[in-house]
Amino acid sequence: MSKQLEEEFIKQLDENQNIVHKICRLYTNDQHAHKDLFQEVTVQLWRAYPKFRGDSKFSTWMYRVALNTAITLYRKSTRRVTTQDYESVQFKIEDQNEEDEQMEQLTLLYGAVKQLNDIEKALVFLYLEDKNYREIAETMGISEVNARVKMNRIKTKLTNIINP
Amino acid sequence: MDQLDILKQNWQSQTDNSPRFTKEQLTGLLARTSSGIVKWLLIIAMIEFVVFIVLGLVSHIANQENHTIEMMGAPFYYGSMIFHYVVIITFIYVFYSNYKHISISQPTSSLMNKILKTRRTMKWYIWYNLTYMMLVGMIATVLVIRNDPKVTELLASPEMAGHETAFYLMALGASFIVFLIICVVMYLIYQLIYGILLRKLQRNYNELKRMEI
Repeated sequence: MSKQLEEEFIKQLDENQNIVHKICRLYTNDQHAHKDLFQEVTVQLWRAYPKFRGDSKFSTWMYRVALNTAITLYRKSTRRVTTQDYESVQFKIEDQNEEDEQMEQLTLLYGAVKQLNDIEKALVFLYLEDKNYREIAETMGISEVNARVKMNRIKTKLTNIINP
Repeated sequence: MDQLDILKQNWQSQTDNSPRFTKEQLTGLLARTSSGIVKWLLIIAMIEFVVFIVLGLVSHIANQENHTIEMMGAPFYYGSMIFHYVVIITFIYVFYSNYKHISISQPTSSLMNKILKTRRTMKWYIWYNLTYMMLVGMIATVLVIRNDPKVTELLASPEMAGHETAFYLMALGASFIVFLIICVVMYLIYQLIYGILLRKLQRNYNELKRMEI
């Protein structure tokens, strides 16, 4: 593949690599697996790139490829690791006074999301990325109604995880 | 306010200690090969195709040396062989066209569906080969023992008088059991390989399907 195509791809990937990191963080439990999944996503993106015609945004296309890789193609077991280091995820909170309490709540929420299954994680991820139900449904290949129903069930499930 | 919405508000501000990749590192990643299941499906399929084609050729060479072809009759022998290779070529074509339609950028459910369809083709390929081996093997056994001079000689001996039918049935029964064992072993190997490879995909596919009920 041409050098120009490669440069163009790297530029777009670099700008959007945060998306891939967020997905890796959600689907893996340690640094090694994180890097491994990141690499597989990159390879899949690059292989599919010549067919990306730009009729959707690069990031939209990227969500799809990255999630598909995490849910479908990625082979490594995620159950292997028992010690989860999602505590390393930090959120920048603006209000200093409320920081501790809010931080604790966010960590708890993030931990609950990590306990969901692969499909539920994907739906939650897209929701957190501010995608509407139509986009979520299109990415997953389900109907909008089903996406909505499932999302409500996930919210209940998360509440139950946090307040058992 | 919804708990998920609290997380959503802060979602974009998340960081962790995993490093961002530099452009150079990203370029380096492009050169790596995939370790994903689609690549493995292709490799396994290639092995399956090659194994049964080679098996056919090896038995052809062995048969030529043992005069089995004359005993079996050329029309049956070559007829079944041509049929066999036509079917194999058809399977290769179907596999290839399924494989070609696996695109990572399609919606998740249809991607999973395509992968499972590709796997099903290979499942039918194995079953076809086992059935073919068993049927042709048993017909060949009958044809060969009828025309084998050694068998004719044996059956002509006084001790065997009146036991010809029992002899044929035993020969058929024995070959049937051998093929049955091969089938069971192949089935187990097959379940193991694809089980390891596609367990996660199958689980996620079922989860997605459950949502649609």
